[in-house]
Amino acid sequence: METRVINEIIDYIVTTWLSGDARGFTEQTDLQASGILDSFSTLALVAFLDERFEVQLDPADVSTDSFRTVSAVADLVKGKLSSAGT
Amino acid sequence: MMRLDQFVSAWAEYDPNHVAVEGVIEKITYRDLDQLADRFARLFLRLGVRKGDRVGVHMPRSGRTVAAMLGALRAGAVYVPLDPGSPPARIALIAKDCGIRHVVISPVLLSSWLASGVTSPVRHFVLSADGPLPAVDQDAAIHRWAEVLDESAERLEPPSHNMDELAYILYTSGSTGVPKGVMLSHRNAFAFIEWAGNQIELHHSDRVASVAPFHFDLSIFDVWTSLWVGASIVIVDETTVVSGPRMLERIRQRNISVWYSVPSALILMLDQADLEAQGAPSLRAVYFAGEVFPMKHLRRAMRALPQAKFWNLFGPTETNVCMAYALPGVPSEEDQTIPIGHPSCGDQMRVLDDAGQPVKPGQMGELFIEGPTVMVGYWNAGAPLLAKQPYPTGDMVSQREDGAVMYHGRRDHMVKVHGYRIELGEIESALLLHPGIQEAITMVVGQELVAVLVASDPQLSILQIKQHCAAKLPRYMIPSDVRPVASMPRTTSGKIDRVRVKQDVIAENEARAKAMTEARAAARGTK
Repeated sequence: METRVINEIIDYIVTTWLSGDARGFTEQTDLQASGILDSFSTLALVAFLDERFEVQLDPADVSTDSFRTVSAVADLVKGKLSSAGT
Repeated sequence: MMRLDQFVSAWAEYDPNHVAVEGVIEKITYRDLDQLADRFARLFLRLGVRKGDRVGVHMPRSGRTVAAMLGALRAGAVYVPLDPGSPPARIALIAKDCGIRHVVISPVLLSSWLASGVTSPVRHFVLSADGPLPAVDQDAAIHRWAEVLDESAERLEPPSHNMDELAYILYTSGSTGVPKGVMLSHRNAFAFIEWAGNQIELHHSDRVASVAPFHFDLSIFDVWTSLWVGASIVIVDETTVVSGPRMLERIRQRNISVWYSVPSALILMLDQADLEAQGAPSLRAVYFAGEVFPMKHLRRAMRALPQAKFWNLFGPTETNVCMAYALPGVPSEEDQTIPIGHPSCGDQMRVLDDAGQPVKPGQMGELFIEGPTVMVGYWNAGAPLLAKQPYPTGDMVSQREDGAVMYHGRRDHMVKVHGYRIELGEIESALLLHPGIQEAITMVVGQELVAVLVASDPQLSILQIKQHCAAKLPRYMIPSDVRPVASMPRTTSGKIDRVRVKQDVIAENEARAKAMTEARAAARGTK
């Protein structure tokens, strides 16, 4: 589950913002320091997470830290999914 | 002050056997150039050319081309250099726009012109070389090269002494792609020629490269400043300028001493020909213009040619060169750009904001130029649009504390993305700071900031490029879409063809969108 979420987010980011070039990109890559996420691309990523995993993120969920890396985003998604399941 | 048609005869008497134009194979001396120009002038007059008529010159660069331009001026006409690399349809458009009835043309270009079936007002084609006369059924006469040679070389009376008459019309594509005829007078040309010759003390003994095509304004220096001082023009022909090794070989073998080109040509010699290892000891002065010289390449070029003085010249075709900066030495690693310098050629400048008010030092505004190099106006199908003085260049600049002017890009390259005002040139400069990025062009497509670039390092990933941008630029200036390409399309003047780069991006976007729609349709179909 966790790996699938991570891989799908990576796929989305690589296709959308890296012209499909995955070289060097991992779940630990700093999304802000690498110029991938800004306020507009963050909104696009939030929309993707909603569509793909059906997780609704509150503005409060979206912070520099929670969107620092794919790994952090996946944790956020995972947390949302498990809380929705209980 | 002198009209261009008066340049050559004094040198033809003083040093008749000195080479005026050196082509790849043939050379033409000052005496021969002087005589050939008079023969051309007499033929033009016999064929009905009248004062102020436009005479087209449509052939590869050579001594004969220079003679044809000079001959047109000696007949009292205005010469219009036509790009040998442009399709006949575009050439015919220019011929129609300014009513060209006489064209000197090479046999090959005439064949393709006639084969294309375009219509034009041209009534007399004068062949620039021997060749079979094409059989044509149209109301234009074709004159053999022998007809030029049959004319007398006896000196003609100067057609005029009026400096304000037009000397040439240069057609630029402008941002819209519709050719615009920039009208320049003898006064406009001479202001630049005199200034440019004096700055580097251009001398009779100099050997000046002719790199730029004659329809491109850089060639005004190569041809006319050289002829003014009696120097030799060394043709660096169209097949040589596309190759770094061939260009460098030409400089070294022909002892070229003065070079003027777009930075791209010098970069080709750095990247393909190892200019740094070989050097080019004969070069004493390098003028460059037309594009921003990426700093890392400029430093390399200056280190490779330590004996040469480098100048950054600046100005749209409409003002010829109006600003200039003599580099005091190799720029330091901290310098991210160099100035375009100070007004030149007797011009004055103003830097104005959108309300037309002068900006304070350090603030950005549009560059306005007033003075002798500012064009007469646009031809505009015979209804001239006279140039405003001061002329708005469309270039955004600011003034440094020491007074030197810094260039920030074209006014129309200022874009707004997500509400932010962005200067595309700044993003390009930032991209070019990366050692692995060779060339970069940025643009806005839809609402997306797109960077198209040529990477010299195939290992360079998009992620690394974005990380580089993130370290250099505010977040809103980081291109969201980065596309590496193998090479950039170029205009016939050697500059990167921005219009085509953008067209390619749009075409690729459409292809991607179509592929995605088809993939979705296919997915639905299988369900």
